This record gives sequence, structure tokens and C-alpha cells, in this order.
Amino acid sequence: MLKSLVDYLQLGAAYLRININAQLEYRAAFYSQIAAMFINDGAWVVFWLFFFTRFPVLHGWSLKDVMSLWAVTTAGYGIAYGLMGNAHRRLAPAIAQGELDLWLLHPRAVLPHLLLGSSIPSAWGDAAFGYVVYFGFVTPDARHALMFVVLSFVVAVVFVGLGITTGSLSFYLGNASTLSDQWRDISITFATYPPTLFEGKVKLLLFTAIPAGFISYLPVESLRSMSITDLLVAIAGALGVLAFGIVMFYYGLRRYESGNLISMNG
Amino acid sequence: MNRGVEIRELRKNFALTRWTGFSRSVFKVVAVNGISMDVPEGQAVAFIGPNGAGKSTTIKMLTGILHPTSGNVSVLGFTPWRDRRKLAHSIGAVFGQRSQLWYHLPPGDTFELLSRIYSLERSEFIRTRDVLIERFNLGSFMATPVRKLSLGQRMRAEVAASLLHRPRVLFLDEPTIGLDVIARQELRSLICEWNRNDGTTIFLTSHDAGDIEHVAQRVVVINHGQVVVDDNVVAVRRKYLGAKILRVQFHELPRTMLLAGVTMLRESAFEWTLKVDTAVTPVRVVTAAVLDAGSVADIAVEDPPLEEVIARIYSESRKEVPT
Amino acid sequence: MTTMESAARYFWIARTAARSNLAYAGEVIYRCSFLAIILYIFMRLWTVVYAGAEEDRVGGLTLPQMLWYLVITEAIYLSAPRVASEVDEDVRTGRLAVHLIRPLSYAGGHLSRAMGDRVVRFAINLAVGAVIALVLVGPIPLRWSGIVMFLAVLPAAFLLDFLGMFLIGLCAFWLESTSGLAIIYTRTVMMFGGMFLPLSIYPAALQPILRVLPFASMLSAPGTMFVNPSLTLLKESIVIQGVAVAIFAGMVGIVQSIALRRLFANGG
Repeated sequence: MLKSLVDYLQLGAAYLRININAQLEYRAAFYSQIAAMFINDGAWVVFWLFFFTRFPVLHGWSLKDVMSLWAVTTAGYGIAYGLMGNAHRRLAPAIAQGELDLWLLHPRAVLPHLLLGSSIPSAWGDAAFGYVVYFGFVTPDARHALMFVVLSFVVAVVFVGLGITTGSLSFYLGNASTLSDQWRDISITFATYPPTLFEGKVKLLLFTAIPAGFISYLPVESLRSMSITDLLVAIAGALGVLAFGIVMFYYGLRRYESGNLISMNG
Repeated sequence: MNRGVEIRELRKNFALTRWTGFSRSVFKVVAVNGISMDVPEGQAVAFIGPNGAGKSTTIKMLTGILHPTSGNVSVLGFTPWRDRRKLAHSIGAVFGQRSQLWYHLPPGDTFELLSRIYSLERSEFIRTRDVLIERFNLGSFMATPVRKLSLGQRMRAEVAASLLHRPRVLFLDEPTIGLDVIARQELRSLICEWNRNDGTTIFLTSHDAGDIEHVAQRVVVINHGQVVVDDNVVAVRRKYLGAKILRVQFHELPRTMLLAGVTMLRESAFEWTLKVDTAVTPVRVVTAAVLDAGSVADIAVEDPPLEEVIARIYSESRKEVPT
Repeated sequence: MTTMESAARYFWIARTAARSNLAYAGEVIYRCSFLAIILYIFMRLWTVVYAGAEEDRVGGLTLPQMLWYLVITEAIYLSAPRVASEVDEDVRTGRLAVHLIRPLSYAGGHLSRAMGDRVVRFAINLAVGAVIALVLVGPIPLRWSGIVMFLAVLPAAFLLDFLGMFLIGLCAFWLESTSGLAIIYTRTVMMFGGMFLPLSIYPAALQPILRVLPFASMLSAPGTMFVNPSLTLLKESIVIQGVAVAIFAGMVGIVQSIALRRLFANGG
């Protein structure tokens, strides 16, 4: 059991190495994509800066709270798609175009292996941004810092789960890449606004179909309250999203393996 | 012990959904309609057939990618779709159209990754890798990014990569597509060598007759989801075209020669290319007649090109009604 | 070619671009859902803000006006055509070399195509945004004079943005990739042009500076003019927009001639 865990970690490390090497082949483009992400994310920080200068409190949330929200969300996003780039926009088209065959030929469990197969270069910019904003802007103490690091990985788990779920739509709906991207983008959009803005049915939606609640609200609550219970709830939520994605994928894979997807060559 | 590939009554039906407007119709497509065959370890089989014949579907079931509708398959003692991961350690695959090599990196980097994917023991991996580099002549470009390699170099690296974990069965799908003559010959002889020397079972899918002639010992023709022909290469060539090609060169202008069962394929002043229907007239009779027709400088008797044979098999099997 | 003929040609280019845009139904649906979500989120945001405010006006605008402001600025921002990347490609493929012989014609061709694109996209975005805003906050009072003033500042806003993107595309002569510059530009416009917040909400110290920068002329000016038109704003905008257009056009001219010289020096 332990041996296979070590084995998979070694495999993950090998993929990380080869992904970074592939990105460093085009160093200028790689760094400029990271810089572009910084600017992109930074624009929103500027917005909230201006906003909170004028309206210091929003339903109990201050600038630091929103900064933390952004930091943990972008950090989790960056870690998720930097390590498992195939959980991003590549998954839906890959399934639709039969690329799973190549992965099925390897002596590995399909999903984790497939997810490791690529890395989104700009994601590293998001990860760096999240950490820079949190440690540079919010300047936490040791406890908060540790909590943040843990939570950034919790959020990453949610993002991977979300990516798997949206990508797996291709098993059921043909080439679902646009729908998949939209679903993901909408979830991320909602996740970057203070949850105190939403109530009632919308809030319920944000903990189900649009999992923004698991992406940022639960994690940021843990960060604000520093309570272990909240952290455990956030972790449970993250694992729930991941589990849902895994089930959707493997159920769809069964359909793929029985050949009842539309496109078969030859 | 022969634990190669055993296939019994393999069948695969697809249920394809077609949407016209808002109504849905389901079509049943029979892709594989009862294939049975045994491939002993170490054999090189060419799997040929027109597009849509069921080749790829069969290969997918042999590699565990697809689950059959019914039938049994045993590859090296494993049931592919049940023991996919265990079997994957012992099989390899090369697709002419899809690459395993990371495009922007040198082949060496992909080799390293593959060693991790297959959990290969370090020293064992290095030994195999070095042997492959030497035999496939990859040394000069192991550090060059794949995108800068010629197609021939890339395919050699691709095949070598598929052999890193020393698979017992290798599936090759159109490996020589797009290659120039020399690169094609190089690749064929490498595959052949690996088959003859290392005993790796080869499953080759190709539309190139040369691939089949040089690499395979056995030819299986699939059409309409069934095995139409299953024989060794030489027999297939001989049986399915009861014809021989005669090339003759004369010292002087030859006299006209008329024989039943002989067609003039090409005629120039001092050269004849004849096609002989051996069912009508045996070759020795034609040869004697040719020698009589004039002073012969050179004469050669050849089997017809495999392309013709294959084309004929396809068209013949189309006339047959599948049972 | 007479002026009438060239005008007709440019109009035809604009019309073709407009038509091709309508074919991208999927993209339209995507933009609609995105607009709906942003407008909903900001409606919630402003509701909370206005609930905590003393009066029903913040920064001089009521809540409905604040949301309609966003409708306008989003409609403008999301309608931006890909001028920078097109010009960038022209430079890299060498197509520009041919066109630069007649620089006015080259820029003019891009301009008419871009405008055709933009007007159609803007109209669609505006229509969709308007419906959503009506559902969320209801209508705002509009006067015909106000609408005329709004339409008066809109063309210059589009033109300014075009010139900015055109300049960025031309930088392909010197930069390996202009996409980074393009992102900086769009985000600067977003942040300093007042896309989400009208200028009256910005920190007081920054407002005078931001008002004279060209970015505000692209977003905040037309947005404010739609929800809260005034003659003073109109006069101010015309002057600022005029100066900005002149400066940008001058820059484009300079950059084009430098690029032309470089082209001939390097032999294309």
C-alpha cells in the first residue's frame, strides 16, 4: 500500500519535471504567461482596493477578507491546474477525440495518470499570485500562514474535482468543451465574490451545481474563524466534490469502454 | 507453453444514437462478427482490411480498451478488459498518427517518464534503453527536441519507446505512414529484427504491402467483422493471385508470341513484361515459349505485388455474403 | 478612387464584418450568460452597499442607475474586436509590409472592419444587458437629449480604443509577443477607465487624474452619459476625447513611419 503510494508520488514528480521542462523550452512565453496572470489577477485586487476605500465594510467583510478570498482561490487554482493541467480545458476534448485510448494502454489507473499529463503554464502565475497577495498584503501570523497553506491545497482539490466533473460531460454529451469551460468559469466567478452577498436559493445553488461554496466560502470561513471544525468541514466538502467528479468520470469511462460513444475510428 | 493470443468467437456490437431534429434513433452496428484465431508467441501477424472492417475494434479489444459484446480473448494468459493494467506491463503500442513522445522535448525525456510509468527498475531500464539506442541508431538525436526530428527519426524513437518495458506483444498501427523509402525500410528491418531475435509477438496494421511482406509471417484479412483470409504471406500471395509476372529482356527484336493465359502488361522494343495466369498455362511453358521468341538477355519470374493481391481479396470478399 | 468610392468600400467592409459576427451564435450565448452573472453579482453588491448608505444616491447615482452604468460599460468592454492580435499577425506574416505603402488605407481598412464588428457586438450586448437590468432593477429615467449626448460620445470612445489596440499590434515590430502588452492594456482600461465603478466612486485624490486619461473616455464617459447625462460632462468629454484621439492618432502615425523605415532598412 505504502509502496504504491510512493510509486505514484514518484510518477507525479516525474510528470511535474517533464511538464516544467516542456514549458521552459519556451521560456519567454512561459514567463510572460505568468506575468499576464499576475496582471489579470492584480486588476481585481486594484478594483477591491478602490471599492473598499470608498465602502470600508461589506456585510462584515473588510478588504483583508476579500484579499484572503482571492489569495486562497487563486493559489488553489494555480496548484490544481499547475500540477494536473489535464483537469482543465483539455479533458473534455480529449475524451471526445478518443485520446483516452493512449492512457488506457498504460499500466496505471486512468484518471490520476491522465490528469498529470499536462500542466497549465499560466496556473503557476495564479499560484504565485495567491501566495504573494496573502503573505505580502494580508501579512498573517504563523497560525494563519499555516492554515492558508493547508487551505490552498484543499481548494486545489475542489478545483481538480470541478475540472473532472465538467470534463466528464464529454462522456455523456459528445464534445462538451464549451459547456465544460463555461461551467468552470461561472463557478470561479462566483467564488471570487464575498459569500455574504448571496442568500437563500442562490446560496443553495452555490453549494451544489455551482460549487463556489466549496471553492472559496468554506475555506475562507476556516481562515477567518481559525476553527478546526470549519477546516474539517471545508476538507469534507472538497473531498465530496472530488468524489463526485471521480464517480462521474468512471461511470462515463464504462460507457467509453463499451464503445457507446459516437466517434469510433475504423 | 504457448500463451500468445487466443481469440474465440469475438463479437462486438455498437449501439449508435442518431439525432434527427428532436427524434432519436438507435442503430445497431455489428463491427466484429465472430473472430476466432490463435497467434503463438513470437509470430508477426499482419492485420489488414478496408476501413470500417473491424480491425481497430478488434485491436482495441485485444489491448483492453474496449469490452466485447461476447466471446473470449486471452492475451498472454490475461483477459484484456478485465486485467488491463496487469496486461499493460507486457504489451506495447505504436500509433502512426498519434505520438507518445513529448513534442517539445528530446526523446530521452519521454524515455525517462516511461520508465516511471512502467515502474521499471533503474539499472534494468538503463540497460534496455542503451540497447535500443544502439540498435535503433538514436544516439545522434537523443538530445534533440522531437519537433526538430525527421519523421523517420521520430518513428524510430517512437518504436524504441514502445519497447522500453520489453513488452511480449507489440501492436503497430500504420507505423510507416508518411515515411520515405529508406526510412521505411530501416523501420521495417528494425521491427523484423526485434521480432526474430527477441521473440516479440507483432500485430501489424498497415495499408502498405511492403510492410506486410517484410515484417509479417502471417496475414489475416478482416472484412465485415470477420476473418476472410488467414494464411502465411507467401501462400496468400500465391493463392490469391494465380498469376506470375515475367520480365524479359531480349538481345534482338523478338518474334510475336501468342499464348493462352498470357497478357502483355508492358512492351517496349527489347523488353516484355508479361502476366501469366498459371491456372491456364504453367510458367515453364511460357518460359519455353519466351526463350523461343528470341535471344533472351535476361529473364525474371516474380510474384505479383501484394497491393494487387490485397485489392483482389477485398473485392472478392465483398462479393461473399457474410453468414 | 474617388472619396465616394472609398467610403463605399469601407462601408462594405464594415457591413461584411458585422454579418459574420451574427453567425457566431454560440459565442453570443456564452457572452449572454456571462453578462447575466456579472450583472446579477453586482446587483447584489450594490444592494448591500446602498442598504448601508444614508441616502438613495451613492456617487451621485441611484442603485438602478449604478447597474445600468455597468450594462453600458460591460457592453462596450465586451464588444472589443481583436485588432491588436490581427495587426500583430499582419506584422509577423509580412502582410503589413505590402499595406504600409499606403498607411492610411491599411489603418482605414482595419478601422472599418473593427467598427463593423464592434457596433454589432455592442448592440447585442446592450440588448441582452438591458433585458437583464430591467428584470433586476427595472428601468431608469431616460431623456431623448440624454440619449443623443450618449451617442455623441460613443464613436470617439470606440475610436480611441481602436487606436490603442492598433498601437499595441504595431509593437509586434519590436516585441516577441504583444499578447502581454494587450493584457496590460485591457486591464488598465478596465481598472482606470471605470468599468465597474463610475469615476465618482474612485478615491477623491485620483479622480482628477483619471478623468483626463484616455481610458475614462472609453468607458466611464459613455456610461455616465447614459445614466446621468449633463451638458458639462458632454463638453468635458468632447474636449478630452478630441485631445486623446489627436494624440493617439499622432502616435500611430509616428510608430507607423518608424516601422516603415525599419521595414525598408531590414528589407521586410
